[in-house]
Amino acid sequence: MPYPLLADSITFELEAQEPWPQLITLYQPYEVEQILLPDNANCLAVQAFLKMCGLDFQIEPRSNAEYMSPSGRVVPFIKCGQFLVSDFDSIVTFIGNKGTSLSDHLSANCKADMRAYMSLVNNIFINAELYICWVDETTLNEVTKIRHGSVYPWPLNHYLNWQKRKEVIKKLNVLGWYNKTIEEVCKEVQNCCTALSERLEGSDYFSGEKTPNELDALVFGHIFTIITTPLPGNKLANIVQSYPLLVHLCKRIETSIFSLQAIGVK
Amino acid sequence: MDMFELTIWKGDWGLPSVDTECLQVLVYAKFNGIPLKVNAVGNPFNSNLPTLKYNNYTFTKVKDIIEVFRENNYNTEQDLSRKECAKIMAYDVMLKEKLFPALQFVWWIDEKNVNELIRPWYCKAMPFPFNFYYPGKFERQAHVIFETLYPVEDDISIIENKVYSEAQKCLTLLSTSLGESLYFFNEKPTLLDAVIYSYLAPLLKAPLPNPALQNHLKACTNLVTFVARISEKYFSNECHEYKTKQNARNVKQYTHNEFPNKRRTQLVAGFIATLMMATYAFSNGILEVSAKDNEISDIPAEDAFTNNE
Repeated sequence: MPYPLLADSITFELEAQEPWPQLITLYQPYEVEQILLPDNANCLAVQAFLKMCGLDFQIEPRSNAEYMSPSGRVVPFIKCGQFLVSDFDSIVTFIGNKGTSLSDHLSANCKADMRAYMSLVNNIFINAELYICWVDETTLNEVTKIRHGSVYPWPLNHYLNWQKRKEVIKKLNVLGWYNKTIEEVCKEVQNCCTALSERLEGSDYFSGEKTPNELDALVFGHIFTIITTPLPGNKLANIVQSYPLLVHLCKRIETSIFSLQAIGVK
Repeated sequence: MDMFELTIWKGDWGLPSVDTECLQVLVYAKFNGIPLKVNAVGNPFNSNLPTLKYNNYTFTKVKDIIEVFRENNYNTEQDLSRKECAKIMAYDVMLKEKLFPALQFVWWIDEKNVNELIRPWYCKAMPFPFNFYYPGKFERQAHVIFETLYPVEDDISIIENKVYSEAQKCLTLLSTSLGESLYFFNEKPTLLDAVIYSYLAPLLKAPLPNPALQNHLKACTNLVTFVARISEKYFSNECHEYKTKQNARNVKQYTHNEFPNKRRTQLVAGFIATLMMATYAFSNGILEVSAKDNEISDIPAEDAFTNNE
């Protein structure tokens, strides 16, 4: 079965041909009025990853970033030379193909574990965030609809909200999350936080070394966003706050790479 | 003490069950040596599979079932550190993300597999009215999964590439993670091994007509031996049964050729055909055989023919 791997190696070749480093532009929705919890977490994770790599980038807020994305409603995406890359994992692979990697020195076993934990974070946190934003009635009416529709004129905003909600529900349904109750969702997040916290036990970063890698960036993106985004009920934030190891990891990353902002840990 | 009664999808190809979730529960139970009454059925009607009946309670979710086992002190994870338990959770989610779609694709989307193996198998496994409904339903469900996971992609071959490439990467990760050890946490099997076995075994054992992903798995030799080890240790009956059945089939094929005495049949057929044609020729007078007139009558006729020209 050489086919998919062949495709992979072709993209690798193509991407490697471009000169490097190049200016990276990161497109994302407006942070203050528009962006929602899951998108914000992803954007922050990508920003943190790029900063950890020591790459310069420029943030370009666009109200229609979702529709500009090359893989269909996935934000953020980066523009680098001729390439448009969306999604955290693909961006990490893309930067890796350019020769900049945070995890190349790890052993194969460590890398495998790291991939598994990234899957864990990507699935549990993102689905829980989508659930809170689009299924939980209070958050949907008080926050999500207003923010998501804020950039569109009157009749269009209702239609687009409805359309987006339908899409999210379809996805959650397939993944088996739509039928969960809010308590079950919170339980999942709690389990995930416990697992991450156990994994982190006793070391500064997930790799157990002195430098952060992509898993740290991803966890940082989600934990930081959950803590700092005010939502009615604050259910997720309360759960995450009860894991001091994760909050400290967040603070550590925040002070080391984003020096100006302050984390709102109560 | 009350008996555990587990209802699962029935198996084939040397597997105790063809369904991933059923396998997970069953393998975990076997690891713990839980006394089980197993009902292997081919009919998902009125119950989700797997189903565990215990103390008049019914459990249908894998998580709940394993929780019940643990409450009864059947637990392979009690010796593990908390870090290792966290690892189990992470791998569980990763396999669900990467291998589950691939298995669905191999099972219900790949046309060759569906038409030649999967649909006929399910049609045969299920009782009469259901076998018209359920295979189609499973197929539609799989299509919905891929429509939702890849909303902008219309071309099925692009989706196939993406899904297979993710799955192959995941298999390679598992292979490196296992290394040379017997199980994923060294000597003793745990829930993690049950989960991994449940995804790998169906992919490895089904005689798929389109073995693209299967071949990649077969190339990871340590995973293949891992699956074989668990199969032989815990499901030796099913393995043995399938092997003897297949041997019997092979022997049958060898002796019961489709056309025994091929040469004789050919000769007889050839003889009959010649006979028929000859009879036709004689009856229509195209050929005449007369011992006496033969020489005399033939020559003038030929002469007349050439003269005319």
